[in-house]
Amino acid sequence: MTPAKLVNTLRRVFSLCFSLAILVCVISFNQNTARAAEANGFRARLSPMPTTPQTKNTITGSGEALVSLTGNTLTLTGAFAGMSSVATMAHIHNGPPAQPGPVVAALTATEATDGELTAKIELTDEQLMALKENALYVQIHSATNPAGELRGWLFAQP
Amino acid sequence: MKMQKSRLRPLTLRNALLSAAVALGLVACGQESTQAPTSTATPTAMTSAFSDQAALGAGKFAANCAACHGVNLEGTTLGPLLSGRPFLQRWGDRTPSLLFSNIKANMPPGGNEGISDADYLAITAHILDTNGVDAITAALTASTDFTIADNASELVANRQRSEPPAPEGITVAGNVDDYSPFVPVTDAMLEAPDPADWPMIRRSYDAHSFSPLDQINTANVDSLSLEWVWNMHEGDSEPSPLVYKGIIYLINPGNVIQALDGKTGELIWENWAGPANRQDMRNIAIYNDKIIQATTDARLIALDARTGEQVWETAVADNTQGFENSSGPIVADGRVILGLAGCARYIKDDCYISAHDANTGELAWRFNTIAKANEPGGDTWGELDDIFRAGGETWITGSYDPDLKLTYWGTAQQKPWVPVSRHLTINDEGLFTNSTVAINTDDGTLNWHFQHVPAEALDLDEVFERVLVNRGGEKLVFSLGKYGILWKSDRVTGEFKGYKETVFQNAFTDIDAVTGRVTYREDIQNAKLNEWTSACPSSAGGKDWHSMTYHEPSGLMIAPLSQTCLENAAREVALVQGGGGLAASRKFFEMPGTDGNLGKIGAYNVDTMEEVWSHQQRASFHTGTMSTAGDLVFVGDLDRRFKALNARTGKLLWETRLGTSVQGHPVSFAIDGKQYIAVTSAVGGTSPRTVPDVIATEITYPRWGNALYVFSLPGN
Ligand code: HEC
Repeated sequence: MTPAKLVNTLRRVFSLCFSLAILVCVISFNQNTARAAEANGFRARLSPMPTTPQTKNTITGSGEALVSLTGNTLTLTGAFAGMSSVATMAHIHNGPPAQPGPVVAALTATEATDGELTAKIELTDEQLMALKENALYVQIHSATNPAGELRGWLFAQP
Repeated sequence: MKMQKSRLRPLTLRNALLSAAVALGLVACGQESTQAPTSTATPTAMTSAFSDQAALGAGKFAANCAACHGVNLEGTTLGPLLSGRPFLQRWGDRTPSLLFSNIKANMPPGGNEGISDADYLAITAHILDTNGVDAITAALTASTDFTIADNASELVANRQRSEPPAPEGITVAGNVDDYSPFVPVTDAMLEAPDPADWPMIRRSYDAHSFSPLDQINTANVDSLSLEWVWNMHEGDSEPSPLVYKGIIYLINPGNVIQALDGKTGELIWENWAGPANRQDMRNIAIYNDKIIQATTDARLIALDARTGEQVWETAVADNTQGFENSSGPIVADGRVILGLAGCARYIKDDCYISAHDANTGELAWRFNTIAKANEPGGDTWGELDDIFRAGGETWITGSYDPDLKLTYWGTAQQKPWVPVSRHLTINDEGLFTNSTVAINTDDGTLNWHFQHVPAEALDLDEVFERVLVNRGGEKLVFSLGKYGILWKSDRVTGEFKGYKETVFQNAFTDIDAVTGRVTYREDIQNAKLNEWTSACPSSAGGKDWHSMTYHEPSGLMIAPLSQTCLENAAREVALVQGGGGLAASRKFFEMPGTDGNLGKIGAYNVDTMEEVWSHQQRASFHTGTMSTAGDLVFVGDLDRRFKALNARTGKLLWETRLGTSVQGHPVSFAIDGKQYIAVTSAVGGTSPRTVPDVIATEITYPRWGNALYVFSLPGN
């Protein structure tokens, strides 16, 4: 898929969510933990790192990461677009929703403002538990935002 | 024209009022001087250590401040103006040292890494220089303590004013009697409003924001059509129109009130109470034959409801000390009861709720929201001197139970925002902040209080409307604050009855099911200066000023909610008289797990506290919710959409798009048996507005377009 197509696909996915504008697209935390026990599919919506009126034009973009689990093996595919500068690194981190934490594993990210994410990672039992408790998140760093530009917590797919 | 300097008079409230009276003359002078060949430079532009410092500051200001305050300090929708008379009125009697420490502690709001003390001093010099402080030569230091007004040339201060003189008093004369005979409003009429009327904020004393009209209902709402539109004055606007016997009384930004014929949209009268600014006022009240108005500079005014002519005026608090109002009064038991805001400064006076005689304006009582050392609750502020106890604003109008003769108010949190900035700890609860207070209307004494979030630590207040609900034999009070927690208490005793988390929150690790006592996450409890803490929701609130509605037919509390999170870092604030402030850096991000949906309408069964339905979308909601006996709930959003949902199921039944973002409080009324729905489009506002702006950057809308839209069913 070309970056342009990716952007379009992403846009379509998101706009579908927005225009439906109903519960279906959104997973409440309670339902989530209940389902996470058996779930094998997880998804993170990637959105800008914390920003202010001064930084809203320099911390930009959007994306998505999809995770499937086979035993302790995590396979991740994803796409991102519209970053303010090229992606330099991407990681999975460990921290509960909205609470940053340490790096767990590295991902492969296209060195571009629009690109793809991939990874195959062997999780420890502890990390597997963290995933099921929504305590793993994906973060992409960029040339101009070395502290991170896009971020998203992984939640079980409904 | 003489370029002679005259000193600004010391700015006191009395002088401020006086100067309003002579404003015409001053402004004429100011306009004259703008035509002078010298532009904005001071008459004698000799260089000095001060002017060099100011020149350096100009660049720093452009880089760090101009985005919100304007390149010429003229203000934008993101930040207030920092020049001219309005600025000098706020800062004239203080010192450069205080201005420097205030800016350093509070600005820019997103964080100040990379701005040194020298930069802050240079910026302070630039602000003073632009405001005509030209009688000094020495560079500013952190302790420069001259009185700003004493060193500002009046000429330059006035030259900042580029706008034509604002009108005062009546600008359009008319009489409501010519449209429908005016009938004085009685206590009985306010206790049980006519179904056709919307005679106070949220319509009734119990704050249900519910209209008993059912002509427009789930079966026919899809044919709702525009009847008329009225453009309002520009500025920050979050208004709640008031409707009585077919006449709409509309508060505009800048303290302007209009009376409009609800049927035709014809303007009957208009009154400018001043000051003519761009500031917000959410509501006004009607009682007897008077419209009662709080002003942005903390005055209380009664107008003749028929003609708009002023009847009485009184001061609520001293605006030169920072006090202001952004919400108006309710009239309960013959008394005008109103709150107060702008209480973050380290001064002797603190915030209060006050009651005035509705016929004369005479003060009846005050209830102080901040306990002084020698008062009940005074020991909840550590060792802090009274002067440094700040916050506890009552910036949202309370509600009233006529049987219990109690008025219910929410109070804002302690200031500055983080305990370490306040020189306090997480154990210093700070009564009576972030509480529900039930106050006896006859004497202003406290009947009971419940502190929802003691020692608040993230700028998340619990100040919003108190909704009074009777269920079975129980008399209950509900509120929903920025933490997104729906609280239920017994409103006779104050006893805690239950809670519900309406959006994700991770600020508290525990909420005691029996007592309602909250426990903050450990890193929030111990947050140090300049240390970033990440938490949900953000200061835009799980819920903010947009009032929720109680739909009695279904027993549902239906609330407009917002889903964002913040990173917060406390800044240092010195304990000096006249200082204070908010003192935190903040950044914002989407709430995890919401798929980027900032807007949520949640409906909660008031008995079980369970969520019955929710409606979520990308655009944040910017009006209160209003429900009707037609089983509808109305709400508007940032993306210009005004919507009607089924109140029982949340199903979207109708929507239309207005000129700009839909913001304010929808209302419903009837004239000659025909039901109308009215809502305002509006711009401006603080966190609930600026946070989505930072996150949902793809949503665009005009930055002006305040207006009132009135809808009805065709052919009725
Ligand atoms: C993101 C927008 C933003 C930026 C950037 C910003 N401010 Fe502000 N400023 C505000 C807002 C909003 C207020 C009013 C509310 C408040 O006090 O928080 C304010 C208030 C002020 C006040 C108090 C005004 C008064 O009348 O009391 C001063 C002084 C000020 N800012 C100076 C600065 C300076 C100097 C900078 C740059 C170092 C700056 N601000 C950067 C938004 C901003």
